[in-house]
Amino acid sequence: MFTRSLFLSLMLFAGHAVAADTPDLAPIKRWLAKQDELRTLQADFAQTRSYKNLRDPLAAPGHIWYSAPGSFRWEVGDPAKTVVLRKAENYYVITPAKKRAERTPSAALGQPGNARRMPMMDFPFAKNFEDFNRKFETLAVATTGKRCHLELLPRDPQAKNALSAIRIDFDTETGHLIAFEFVTKDGSSMRNEFSNVRINQKIDALQFDYDFTGYEVIDAK
Amino acid sequence: MQNRRRYVRIAVAAFLLVFVVAGLSRISFNVDILKLLPVGLRQVQGLSLMLKEFVSDNELIITVEAPTAEAAEANADAIAAKLAGMPKLVKRAYSKPPWEKDGGQLSELLAFLVLNQPPDKVRALTERLSAEKAPGTLRETLDKLSESMNPQEIALLGYDPYDISGSAVGSLMSGGGGEQNKFASADGKFHIIIVEAAGTKDGKFANYNEAIAWVDAVQRATAEWQGRDGCRLGYTGEPAITGSIAGSMQHDMQESGVVTLVVIALIFYFCYRRFRPLLELQGMLLLVFAVALAIAGLFLSQLTVIGVGSSAIMIGLSVDYGYFIYQRAQRFRGTVRELQSQCLRYIVWTAGTTGAAFFALNVSSLPGLSHLGNLVGIGVIVGAVVMLTVYAPLVLRRSQREGDAPPSLVERAVLSPRFHRAGAWFTIGLVVVLLAGLAWKGVPANDFSDRALRPRHSEAYDALDRMTAKLSDQADPLNLLIEGDSVEVVLARLCDVEKQLAAAQSRGEVVSFRSALPLWPDAASQRENLPLLASLANEAPRLRQAALDAGFKEDAFMLMENLLKQWSAWAQRTPPIWPDNDASRWVLQRLAHHDGDHWYAMGFVQPAPGREDALLDKISGDGVYLTGWKLLSLELRRAIPQEFVHAIVGIVVVVLALLIFAFRDARSIGLFVGVTLLVFACLLGAMSLFGMTWNFFNLAALLLLLGTGTDYSILLLLALRRNGGDVPGARKELFVVICLCACSASAGFGSISWANHLGLASLGQTCALGLLLDAAISLFLIPPLWTWLHRHDPATG
Repeated sequence: MFTRSLFLSLMLFAGHAVAADTPDLAPIKRWLAKQDELRTLQADFAQTRSYKNLRDPLAAPGHIWYSAPGSFRWEVGDPAKTVVLRKAENYYVITPAKKRAERTPSAALGQPGNARRMPMMDFPFAKNFEDFNRKFETLAVATTGKRCHLELLPRDPQAKNALSAIRIDFDTETGHLIAFEFVTKDGSSMRNEFSNVRINQKIDALQFDYDFTGYEVIDAK
Repeated sequence: MQNRRRYVRIAVAAFLLVFVVAGLSRISFNVDILKLLPVGLRQVQGLSLMLKEFVSDNELIITVEAPTAEAAEANADAIAAKLAGMPKLVKRAYSKPPWEKDGGQLSELLAFLVLNQPPDKVRALTERLSAEKAPGTLRETLDKLSESMNPQEIALLGYDPYDISGSAVGSLMSGGGGEQNKFASADGKFHIIIVEAAGTKDGKFANYNEAIAWVDAVQRATAEWQGRDGCRLGYTGEPAITGSIAGSMQHDMQESGVVTLVVIALIFYFCYRRFRPLLELQGMLLLVFAVALAIAGLFLSQLTVIGVGSSAIMIGLSVDYGYFIYQRAQRFRGTVRELQSQCLRYIVWTAGTTGAAFFALNVSSLPGLSHLGNLVGIGVIVGAVVMLTVYAPLVLRRSQREGDAPPSLVERAVLSPRFHRAGAWFTIGLVVVLLAGLAWKGVPANDFSDRALRPRHSEAYDALDRMTAKLSDQADPLNLLIEGDSVEVVLARLCDVEKQLAAAQSRGEVVSFRSALPLWPDAASQRENLPLLASLANEAPRLRQAALDAGFKEDAFMLMENLLKQWSAWAQRTPPIWPDNDASRWVLQRLAHHDGDHWYAMGFVQPAPGREDALLDKISGDGVYLTGWKLLSLELRRAIPQEFVHAIVGIVVVVLALLIFAFRDARSIGLFVGVTLLVFACLLGAMSLFGMTWNFFNLAALLLLLGTGTDYSILLLLALRRNGGDVPGARKELFVVICLCACSASAGFGSISWANHLGLASLGQTCALGLLLDAAISLFLIPPLWTWLHRHDPATG
């Protein structure tokens, strides 16, 4: 906490997201209801990281695989430069180039205020509407055609201290995730635009496995 | 001659008055609970050092608990802002770490962390910044910014394009655990505010009254937030705890003393129905109390929370001699001197054994108990002297002036055979129930935890417990304190301990640990690193341009610029260098401290469950203390019961030797031993039935009961022998007196049963219970047992 707070504080805090009128939450309820049917998900994404202190955004392609109830794989780069894998009771953050993996118990990662957790590692974002409400404060809901845009804030105070918004775009008809973005208090952001989304198609179990032969696997501090 | 005697009396009275005033004015309270514990124990030494060096005497912690995180944070900030605007009352008030207001302050600490790195790491760093390698270093940073899934890394690198902080922060993080600077709970609904008092000298209040007044003033200033938005405020930290304990000590002392005096007055009046002798007796008790306390004030150190119980106990025991003298003075036809000489044997016997038992508490290494023993021992001797020299003449003259008073209703009732038969049957029934209770529930359990050291009710302790539960991620971490007479010695010890801890972690004995090593200045490394780092200041324009060329904006170089300036500024100083701006001091004051010639480093160890004891042997060395309340309990559990066993064996041998000398009769001695064992067995049964446990303090009750409770059986046996086995005669002589003594002594001990200090209260409860059992068994069972044992003896028929 000390070091986390210490060095996150090096960031200069920017403005706060503007709160809107009480939003209509019906689209969220419908979207989350569709999640009940979600057994597997595969998608490609284009990740764009914009930093306050960088002139140009950094872009990288990526892939996501999810299989209910808890198997998850997130890869950034092509070939993958960073892999996040949820396997059994652990999360692994793998850096193939360095043959290195950091292991964190999923339970520890799920604790409020955990600084090692990226918002997308919580996929799926909520089990149901109550869970969603417990995790997020909804600032705005805007629907344009089939696209619904959510503007959220995490309720976890530590995450709330670091983030000024979480943005989610989804297809109101299919429930497919279109984009996911989080914005930090200093104005930096990470946006993932999803494409080629495939729902409930069979995923090879090997996809959620990883061969750590020759890897240095360390427990995250 | 008459005039001369009067002058002597006036001179004695004047001397006493001056003595009492001087003594009482020096009485002060010591609220440190560690002062109750043996100073020779390693745990006590370590915890005392930690509290002395790392707990700020003038730092109050306000806890703010609200239904929502927003309300807790907003109200905590508002309270801190209000207090910060009261410079006469508050020096500083923080609801957030100081660097959250000014992140730039942290660059000094970061510069220090890099400076303190091993020289090979710093050489590698400067190489990464060379003209040839800088572009590659920047590319690596961009790759990490593009791929990293570590939020902390991402947040830092945006402001640190050359990744200067990476290795330094890594060393700080390497220990894991030890979350010591939290201002809010994980759910945000619990916040704390740290408030530093203004106007204290060297960070300390002049006395506890000043601390109490300051805490009260802060409470008044923040009272408007109590209940606002559902907020609940609590106050803890050293000044609040000091105030709370000192306040309860004063209250305990006054209340137990007053209650004992009132109970004694009621007992006396109930028994004799006389008002003037009652007032005289109360006057004597106050005199005893004042003189004994004055002696304590002049010759003993401060009163501890245990010592405050002495007033009630000494009153409850000293009154015994007054009862005896009063009883004897009725129908006495001789002179004062004759009365005094008649009473002397009884009083010397009882005051001697009682005083000896209390002074024997000095064999305990618990200073709190020794203190109590000395105070009561002094009080008992003063009581004996006052009653013999002042009360005896007073009461005899009154008795002779007013003539014989007929026995009161109570006196007549308690001497009737019917009463004794009923009493004996009741006592037999009680003994059966208590022995059955002992057989059913077993001996009372031991509770050698730190619970006995704590107050029963304390808002400051409650707030502290709540804060620990809300803000600590770890259960019962151990404190790692390292001391030494120089920065270098402490550093060497830190390095050794770090290795020992790493080994213990690999054996599974330690879950995590954090020592002050990354923040402790390494003068040798600093000397080697400083020229390298300071020279980087000349490279600033090149480094800035390279960062801009790589795609970073101007602001990304701000941290680097501050670091370069800091190293350049330190180039004029001689290592060891300590960072010293507000943010650095805030961090370091909880991890490093300097006091005169000594240096102290603090750390935390989270042991694997149940492995605390094993760690003690493995993490050790000169100036290394691994401490915790659990370890303290383990150490006390090993040391204290053993010393009580020694003391009890000692006192048993002395009492038996005296009895052999006094009785020279195997049956009397056997009866005494049997009755004493029965009393202790019944006490164990009663404690088990009432759910009482043994702790460090009420173990002393065994010793005290041997010294005071056994008087009842010894006196009765002596009276039976003196009266040739005449049971009614012995009863007439002593029954009422022993009843009064037992009731008064029990009232004295009983009045501290409600003391706020749980250890003192448990001592009071155990002694009161033991004395009542001792009196009942002695008074109702010894006479029939004596008669039965001597049934074939014509001389004692």
